[in-house]
Amino acid sequence: MSGALEPLTACEPIDPCPPRAANLADILERVLDKGIVIAGDIKINLLDIELLTIRLRLFISSVDTAKKAGIDWWESEPALSSRAARDALAEENARLRERLTALEDRSREREEDR
Amino acid sequence: MNGGAVRVFAVCGGAATPALAALAGLRGHAEGTAVRCLRVGALAAVVQDVPAAQFTADALRTHLSDRATLERYARAHHEVVAAVAAAGPAVPVPLTTLYADEARARAAIARESARFLTVLDRVRGRAEWGVKVFAVGPAPGPDGTPGTPPRSGRAYLDRLRDRQRGREAHRDAVRAAVDRIDATLRATSAAARRLRTHGTDLTGEAQPQVLNAAYLVDADRCDELTRAVAALRADPEFGTLVRIETTGPWAPYSFADETDETDEAEDADRGGVDDDDA
Repeated sequence: MSGALEPLTACEPIDPCPPRAANLADILERVLDKGIVIAGDIKINLLDIELLTIRLRLFISSVDTAKKAGIDWWESEPALSSRAARDALAEENARLRERLTALEDRSREREEDR
Repeated sequence: MNGGAVRVFAVCGGAATPALAALAGLRGHAEGTAVRCLRVGALAAVVQDVPAAQFTADALRTHLSDRATLERYARAHHEVVAAVAAAGPAVPVPLTTLYADEARARAAIARESARFLTVLDRVRGRAEWGVKVFAVGPAPGPDGTPGTPPRSGRAYLDRLRDRQRGREAHRDAVRAAVDRIDATLRATSAAARRLRTHGTDLTGEAQPQVLNAAYLVDADRCDELTRAVAALRADPEFGTLVRIETTGPWAPYSFADETDETDEAEDADRGGVDDDDA
């Protein structure tokens, strides 16, 4: 076979309802997160775009793709990731423990001073 | 070089370079220079030089957050990808694939050349067709005639229960129809993917989308697919349940990732239209 896809154009729409022109959702769904993802120099997080433009539903898969491309800042953004939320809790926990220890130390010192 | 960044649209086999002469007329992104071909070993990438200042991460984020600009970029990208795929086997890359310069683009493509060659092999002589199925009509329910209030509380509850049953039966029938449509079309395809269904807020249609699928079809079998869709549409069993919409032929966008064989939709639908997919 030659490389060309020529037979495709010969495909007659014998169908009473011929293929409809692609709408924006069809195109966006494909151009944003389909195709081979290769690491680019300019990193854009698709989540930003999606939040401001179209509903999350369409772009959930873009997030996966973005992750593959190494665009994953939201992993550490508490509002956006349950993992980050867990990390935040763990961090807060550690901070509180530290404070508690410090307070305990201080009150112990005071007692010793008396 | 235009001191610019390099935007990549698609990658083809290196032998396709002469056919890509047809690209000369393509505009690509309005801000950029002419779309051109970049040879990388056994591959040929279709690229465009764009002004770096307008394509920094910040600038792009702003542009892509604007619906009109996002649409303009998406359509420009798609137009080039479609033209390349019409000229021969091609693997699309996502819209946001950008490099600081030609050398960086070349290096990135060279690094992934094995993947590109594998996918090029898989999509050769094939095209992607999109099939979307919408559930039509309201779920039938013994609504009673409006204006006849139920005679008793029990009658009212019975009516509610019947309506609920009617809805469930309708939903099951729609699911069964979707599975049959998908199975029928898979039989004419080299590969298939269920994509996430679009919500009505996105489609702007009242009827809910119940299947959004892509089929990778051999060029000489595409009228087989078209005929199968026509037969399904003509089936009286389906006519009252679903409406089938097709788009295509597309460049093989949904079949470009050779590693990911799973359907997007699988984890997405809770009540699952999918039973065990052999």
